Amino acid sequence: MPVDLKAVTRRPPETVKIWVRRFHPEKGATWWQSYEVKTHRGMTVLDALLKIKAETDHTLVFRYSCRMGVCGSCGLVVNGEPRLSCQTQIAEKATQEKPEIRLEPLYNFPVLRDLLTDFSEFFEKHRKVRPYLIRLDKEERENPKLEYEQRPEELEEYYEYTLCISCGLCAAACPVYASNPKFLGPHALAQAYRYLADSRDEGWRLRLEELDEDGSAYRCHFAASCSYVCPKVVDPAGAIQRLRRALLTYKFRLFRKRTAKPVEPMKEAKPTVPLPPEAEPIEGVDLSALEREEALIPKQKLLED
Amino acid sequence: MKAQKNRLGVLGSFKLMGANLRDNPERVAFLMHRITGIILVGFIFAHIISTNSLARNGWEHWMAVEVEHLRTLNPISLAFFIAMGAAVFHGLNGIRLLLVEALALWIGRPEKPKPPYVAPSLKGFQRRAIYAVFALWLIIWAAIGYVMFLW
Repeated sequence: MPVDLKAVTRRPPETVKIWVRRFHPEKGATWWQSYEVKTHRGMTVLDALLKIKAETDHTLVFRYSCRMGVCGSCGLVVNGEPRLSCQTQIAEKATQEKPEIRLEPLYNFPVLRDLLTDFSEFFEKHRKVRPYLIRLDKEERENPKLEYEQRPEELEEYYEYTLCISCGLCAAACPVYASNPKFLGPHALAQAYRYLADSRDEGWRLRLEELDEDGSAYRCHFAASCSYVCPKVVDPAGAIQRLRRALLTYKFRLFRKRTAKPVEPMKEAKPTVPLPPEAEPIEGVDLSALEREEALIPKQKLLED
Repeated sequence: MKAQKNRLGVLGSFKLMGANLRDNPERVAFLMHRITGIILVGFIFAHIISTNSLARNGWEHWMAVEVEHLRTLNPISLAFFIAMGAAVFHGLNGIRLLLVEALALWIGRPEKPKPPYVAPSLKGFQRRAIYAVFALWLIIWAAIGYVMFLW
């Protein structure tokens, strides 16, 4: 999402009217309530909500944790746009002409109370795509001895998708997720592709069969709202298109993937590489003493049992 | 205690979620693809009814009525003109979507996030393809209007 980076330097309107769409589960009532908040420079929407909770209305319910865009629990709809409330400046959304902000709970998630939404279905769908590495060798999976070898370019293939913080903004913005309850959603499908593209994973046949049977990957229409609203630039829309290409090539029996093996254990301790002749040690550093020092990873650990 | 259902349903397609032509034209194209699709479904039914009822009186008569109705500005010719615009947009955008969705072309390569933090698929060639689709659509639609009403 193109965040207005200069908003933090601007002074927001002196007081801002914050409209909150509230919901009371016992009464089953929904209503819009407004709060006047005195602002300061650099104030975020989450700051404003905390101020309301502390000073005006302690019954207001919302979820938050880290306050710095890492945990992904404070997702809200700000002026009709899914955003992390801790990353949204008041100065970005409220202007001097219209000092108002409308807050709603995340779309497409059941509302428990006020701005608090239920993520059970979202995480259930995440669980469905098997978000873990699958190895065919059970012994190796249960008792791994050494790490898998992976090339830097293989890491780049999926690294972007590992940055997901499961904030649910993509699901709130997706038009297909809104209309089709069976659709797995951008988050789950991006995670499915993340493990499919990982060279350490050997379960690609199982994953592709399950995803093909489920059919969710084919239902995406590339509105790309998920990639647009994503606060971590995970690009779920791109991942789903790549997943669909993988499914297509798999259907034509053309899907190929190199799977990484565990690193071969060393047969014997190798001699230390001597310093090149042009290297000169820093004055006052005793190289021979450094060489005698115990290594962080003992050599014995790297050797075969 | 009961949770409130908050699923937007089919109407969720018509919310833009902060999208605009500069930052997220994909969403605008998606919305227009939906609307033009609905128009085309309506047009197909109208087309079947119109050709069916007029064809009974012979080809010459049908052509004469077509020319009479479609070469002058009236509600029927205007509806036909809108349907033609919908067909052109739906077709052009459909070609772009086929290439992007089936073959994952034009969506860039996965990369590590760096400023200004725009997802690779939103920076890829498909973004320029969208603008090309919009431009071509307007040109072809204008040409259809010229042929229908002014030529």
